[in-house]
Amino acid sequence: MDLVPPLAIRFVLDNARFAAGVFILAALSGCASLMPQTMELAKGLPPGLPDKVELTETPFFSQQRYQCGPAALATVLNTAGVKVTDEDLVPEVYLPTREGSLQVEMLAAARRHGLISYQLAPRFEDVLREIAAGTPVVVLQNLGMFSSGWHYAVAIGYDYEKGTLVLRSGTQERDVMPFGVHEVVWLRGGYWAMVVMPPDKIPATADENRWLASVAALERIGDARNSRTAYRTFLGRWPENVNASIGLANAHHSLGELKDAEAVLRKAESRAPDSVVVLNNLAQTLSDLGRDQEALPFAERAVAAGGPFAGAAQKTRDAIAQKLGSKGAGVQRLQ
Amino acid sequence: MRSSWTRMLCRLLMVLMIWTPFQLAQAGMIGTDQLVVASANADRTTVLEFLGRADVANQLQSFGLDAKSATDRVAAMTDQEVQMLAGKINSMPAGADSTGIILLLIIVGVAVWWIWFRR
Repeated sequence: MDLVPPLAIRFVLDNARFAAGVFILAALSGCASLMPQTMELAKGLPPGLPDKVELTETPFFSQQRYQCGPAALATVLNTAGVKVTDEDLVPEVYLPTREGSLQVEMLAAARRHGLISYQLAPRFEDVLREIAAGTPVVVLQNLGMFSSGWHYAVAIGYDYEKGTLVLRSGTQERDVMPFGVHEVVWLRGGYWAMVVMPPDKIPATADENRWLASVAALERIGDARNSRTAYRTFLGRWPENVNASIGLANAHHSLGELKDAEAVLRKAESRAPDSVVVLNNLAQTLSDLGRDQEALPFAERAVAAGGPFAGAAQKTRDAIAQKLGSKGAGVQRLQ
Repeated sequence: MRSSWTRMLCRLLMVLMIWTPFQLAQAGMIGTDQLVVASANADRTTVLEFLGRADVANQLQSFGLDAKSATDRVAAMTDQEVQMLAGKINSMPAGADSTGIILLLIIVGVAVWWIWFRR
């Protein structure tokens, strides 16, 4: 007996197979566009990267409920040499009624421990480069179906041949995730990734200006000692950067090292003789050293240069003139 | 009546706590942070930024922090970070849990493997 299915059924079966084929193809091409960077990586390993890296020494903090933020941050802070536990960090990054941690606070909290936080460019390759340079990377993933499900994990390794990323994630010490899966959940947070560096190091993928802003952020919260180290390190790499010199001088100034501040600013002044900030800060430093006579010409030049800091320069100039006594103060005033 | 006074007092204290670092800033020196972020008018942004900080600290408090941690946290932020948060905390991602990896991801995973090994 030959059991030939009736024509109608055969038609449906064939079509089902065909439909399934179409569906899988569509899903695959759909997925491909969901993971553009993975597709790019699939073409070849970017130059200079090893095939396989895993930072096995990276500590692991198994997260408590909702507290992947503190756990991820503790992981990278410890790698950068600061001994803290995830519990120590709860009051610094966890928001009780949001039951989670904000990205901004992850960046800010590292500074409270004398470290510099840096948000990476939204590139998969940069994550791999940081790992290859020995720096674990905090990534924000969205593992939920809709908008909730945000999660911080720490990428600590990869295997290019297998196409997998290794993460310290949640309660998993070694979570292995295919590149594409990671990209899909990572893309939903706008490819957000950060690294945390001790002040004497620079991230492998650091952009000059954005790294300077990261160092200035540490200086801004009043950590002059560590920002002094960071500016020195910065100038070791980019010696021509006048803003970094100003930063170094500011750090010296707030540590009371006025002579050092003066030396740095004089060098900067020879390179950028029209910089209002260099001139103003040099004038102020000289004045703080009790050398108002010497300071005044720099203050005058700062005022003359104008720009967005003209107001501050005018105030500095007036204060110096006042200290010198009223004799020349009114006459030489520049309008 | 009493609670509105308390609230007023809390606000005042918070403003004072936030104001302190500005008073500590060194007279006469132009800060590096003002420099690396180009701004058209340095004096004006300082005032706006100060208001933003008090505002964000208030919001953080409404998410369950005490006044001290709220101000400490805001103090560690840059001006742009404060501006990013102002008024938007509720709509921002807050990384929380790793549970709930879903079927979709498994399908995506299979697709990924296919792509990776067919390259």
